[in-house]
Amino acid sequence: MERDPVIEEYKKHVDRTLLRENLKLTVEQRLRHLMELQKLSEELRLAGRKAR
Amino acid sequence: MSVDYARVFAALCDGNVEFILVGGTAANVHGSARLTQDVDIVYRRSRENVARLVAALGPFDPYLRGAPPGLPFRWDAETIWRGLNFTLQTALGPLDALGEITGGGGYDALLAHTLEIEAFGQRIRCLDLRKLIEVKRAAGRPKDLEAVAELEALLDESGG
Repeated sequence: MERDPVIEEYKKHVDRTLLRENLKLTVEQRLRHLMELQKLSEELRLAGRKAR
Repeated sequence: MSVDYARVFAALCDGNVEFILVGGTAANVHGSARLTQDVDIVYRRSRENVARLVAALGPFDPYLRGAPPGLPFRWDAETIWRGLNFTLQTALGPLDALGEITGGGGYDALLAHTLEIEAFGQRIRCLDLRKLIEVKRAAGRPKDLEAVAELEALLDESGG
């Protein structure tokens, strides 16, 4: 795959520790984790709306 | 609203819908740590498959996401056949049903670039990591730069 210098710059800032942890999980575990993040995001969004 | 992946996959697979998981959820399948709020699928554009897609999602009240209530939108095979890409809100969460994606084309063009994954008791076709990077690059959106960087890092990490 051709290297894109802009992408290469962005890659320097990718937290690979998170990726390595994810790669230890099964696909289903990754999707369950994603669902938990979506729920948390929604709760935070609602809390922010109430606080305004 | 979160996506109920187990029920989305069950509905589509039990309904024999030919589809490929793409987008942010496919990125998560490959190990991405980024949050996506919806599920994107590319469905096969055949009359039979469109009918199956309509039947499978019909019980979950699909409606155009962000559209004001009361629009004359009908979730039926004719509507899907006349259109192409639909961003939907459903009772199972936000779902984008795409006939084609930029840089990748439709179901038949993408099929050779998929892998079969297993989750929630279902076997699902998911876009492979290299093609996912290719289509994200092709989309060319500034917001995708970080996503592409992460996917390429995943490719490095997995020895690709």
